[in-house]
Amino acid sequence: MTGFVVRRLLLLPLVGLGVTALIFLLLQFLTPAMRASLYIHDPKQLNALPDLIRKYHLDQPVYVQYWDWVVQVAHGDLGWSETAREPVATAIRGYFPATFELSMYAFACILTLGIWFGTQAAVHKDQILDHVSRFTSISGASLPTFVWALLLLMIFYGHFGWFPPGRLSLNADLFVRSGAFRPYTGLMTVDALLNGQWWLFWDAVRHLILPVATLTYFQTAVLVRITRSSMLETLRTDYVRTARAKGLAEHAVIDRHARRNALIPVITLASLLFVGLLSGVAITETIFTYPGIGQWGLNASQQLDIPAVTGFALIFAGLLVIGNLCADVMYAVIDPRIRLQ
Amino acid sequence: MKVRGIALMLVLMVGVLALGTGARGAGAPAKNPDTFVSLRYADPESLDPAYAYDTASEEIIYPNVYETLIGYDGSVLSRYRPVLATEVPSVANGLISKDGLTYTFPIRKGVHFHDGSVMTPDDVRYSMLRFMLQDRDGGPSWLLLTPLLGRDSTRDKTSIVVTYAQAAQAVQVQGDNVVFHLAHPYGAFLSIMAAWSFVMPKAWAAAHGDWDGAAGTWQKFNNPKLQDRYAFDHMDGTGPFKLQQWDRQGKELILVRNDQYWRKPAALARVIIRSVSEFTTRRLQLQQGDADLIAVDRPDQDKVQGMAGVEIRDGFPTLVLQALHFNFKIDTNGNPDVGSGKLDGNGIPADFFSDVHVRRGFAYAFDYATFIRDGFKGKADQPNGPIINGLLGYDSTAPKYTHDPAKAAAEFKEAWGGKLWDTGFKFTTTYNTGNTVRQIGAEIIKDSIEGLNPKFKVDIRNLQWSSFLQNTNAHKGTLYALGWAVDYPDPDDFAQPFLASNGDYPKRNSYSNPQADLLVKQAAEQTDAAKRAALYKQLTKIAYTDVPSLYVAQPVAFFVMRSWVHGWYYNAVLGGVDYYPISKQ
Repeated sequence: MTGFVVRRLLLLPLVGLGVTALIFLLLQFLTPAMRASLYIHDPKQLNALPDLIRKYHLDQPVYVQYWDWVVQVAHGDLGWSETAREPVATAIRGYFPATFELSMYAFACILTLGIWFGTQAAVHKDQILDHVSRFTSISGASLPTFVWALLLLMIFYGHFGWFPPGRLSLNADLFVRSGAFRPYTGLMTVDALLNGQWWLFWDAVRHLILPVATLTYFQTAVLVRITRSSMLETLRTDYVRTARAKGLAEHAVIDRHARRNALIPVITLASLLFVGLLSGVAITETIFTYPGIGQWGLNASQQLDIPAVTGFALIFAGLLVIGNLCADVMYAVIDPRIRLQ
Repeated sequence: MKVRGIALMLVLMVGVLALGTGARGAGAPAKNPDTFVSLRYADPESLDPAYAYDTASEEIIYPNVYETLIGYDGSVLSRYRPVLATEVPSVANGLISKDGLTYTFPIRKGVHFHDGSVMTPDDVRYSMLRFMLQDRDGGPSWLLLTPLLGRDSTRDKTSIVVTYAQAAQAVQVQGDNVVFHLAHPYGAFLSIMAAWSFVMPKAWAAAHGDWDGAAGTWQKFNNPKLQDRYAFDHMDGTGPFKLQQWDRQGKELILVRNDQYWRKPAALARVIIRSVSEFTTRRLQLQQGDADLIAVDRPDQDKVQGMAGVEIRDGFPTLVLQALHFNFKIDTNGNPDVGSGKLDGNGIPADFFSDVHVRRGFAYAFDYATFIRDGFKGKADQPNGPIINGLLGYDSTAPKYTHDPAKAAAEFKEAWGGKLWDTGFKFTTTYNTGNTVRQIGAEIIKDSIEGLNPKFKVDIRNLQWSSFLQNTNAHKGTLYALGWAVDYPDPDDFAQPFLASNGDYPKRNSYSNPQADLLVKQAAEQTDAAKRAALYKQLTKIAYTDVPSLYVAQPVAFFVMRSWVHGWYYNAVLGGVDYYPISKQ
């Protein structure tokens, strides 16, 4: 198992190189002046674009430029973002925790509900639960995110006043900005607990419920369908039939034999889902006024903030690689045949 | 059984939905009674009073954090009250010289800045000099430069043309007074001082790397970039509120009450100004009482009509001009809005709009009536130039462009030596995110232009307010929508920014007409009202002939707020709200 993980880790730099090369090649379609903006880390440099073009060899062969850029990225310098009005790396550090927190909770819900509903739909094929899951999946996939998000907001905030938009309510926000609160992780729920502030934790949870519900509804639909079809296939295999013939209880057959093996495609999808969540929450964040990286990324791309978009692409390419690595490790954990290969 | 259970659950849910309501209705107690929450879609560009020149920034700066020597008396634009000065200068009290060239302001004593230091006449002088000499491109410095130095910029095309001695001569400290020497008599000078004479402490600015007030160093600080100054995101005024935090990532700005204020401290302990681009979210927050005032565009007015506990205050005449601007010399470098950058049917060249037939083509193609109907629900007039109704020199008989597709086609057929009609063009027009009215304007342009000729293509792109301003300032705009809100109620405040070469829009758009420059200058210096009005009428004709912009609407203003908001008043010059007299009851 350790050897398997080490082999996968050793491949990471190569994958990273491939990813950066791809992003860099895409950047070559831009003018030297636009590419020079990647090397700006202070607004005062905006006047000195011709000097930057010379300094960073943007008029030199592509491989020279690529090396300069990779070295710069390796030092954590991703350029200057005009939309955030600060260095890209600083902006990512500021925006990312909120999105990560939102995605983390959404992912937990998606995984739990998706696997459970998918399993139940397969086990109770063509019964009410299967129909409900099919209806939910179809409506989840066909209803636009903003419609669902606005609907939830109108009902649960506009009508009931339960779950407000934003990241915190007024008093909580003021408390967090006061010296009495110490941020540790940038994840509001975690920091609230670490500060021993239960009311703040609940306030943060109240603000997370609707965006998490929005994301969960859409992403669960796909997972349910994949889990269901994978379970149906597994339930028809010989070893499941053997397990039943041995007289094992149905829940043991489902939980220990069928579902474990049906999870391989689910894990593949789940790793992509998590990264997809991180990079694709822009609409949800905009509607719920949730100050995360999605809103900023959307704004940056609309305004052709090249350094921000490049930084965004780099970060999410890196996360995708890590997500895939996690999926590989999970395969090995679930299926011994994979690690033996 | 299971089906019955699910059905029961659904019925219960619907029942609860029908019964429960969390909205704050009329008569409900104010939520967070000492905190005022204002939701906008625009974000401030800068907090530096000598840099900021947009309504989203001005709302914070004035009169809430920085104060001026004198101020407007509530809603009344023709009456002033002393603020940081102890008297409003007049000829009668001897503080305005008989020749109208010298204005004396006795400076109030015992006023503290937010950092605790005491305001002195020297701070006032420093602030006025800084305001003039910082003079960033497209900034407000011309407002003091014009009356005091007789020119609207510190620079010509190549170099700095103003000396420190000239500026120092114009603003002097005499004992406890600050004396202004005008370059020429200017009747509107007090109205400029009422909105643009912000005071900040010299020592605070210098200690944070800003100009130290010395004669030999100011040129280093001339025409700064947006974030060059400490005052970009820090504030130190004398006003009733001080800046606690500008959270640019959270798009939120918090002001807290200044308990050391020289007048009685404000009733509100805190003001929160937040940027929320989605209208529905703003509306729901108002409905729940989590917001006290929200930005609503006229097309969305129906959606807030009849909301319990919410008031719509409507019918305020404005000195605001909504316009569409042509950029005569577009910076095409790395500019996605110009397509190929050539006149090949897939883009436009840098000087595309320099051809008057192109501009007139757009002027005849635009459907003004539809814009006013859809964008303002009919509550706006189509102006006939930059000198709008309510200003001296407004000419209701002057001609204006009307929607006429046949004339538009004829103009386009003459454009670019007659080849534009066959070649076609493609570009992107821009507006600021969240502004529904400007979005409608952009869609009307697209529809009317593309309807004329299938080879004409116009795309639409929205930009966050601060980025939009930066984009157009950098000459990257093509044809874009941007309004003008009055700085001071005088026609010069519209003639100069729209028609003088150094004016805000001509500078962004590289428009220049020497005759217009001369007339703007003559009109500003003219003391005879009738002669002045005649000069502005001539300028209106030039605006019609040259078409540097399309003057599309002068709207009637309305505001949407909770009915527990008391003390709010409308003033046509204020960029936003004066929070000092406001309370929530």
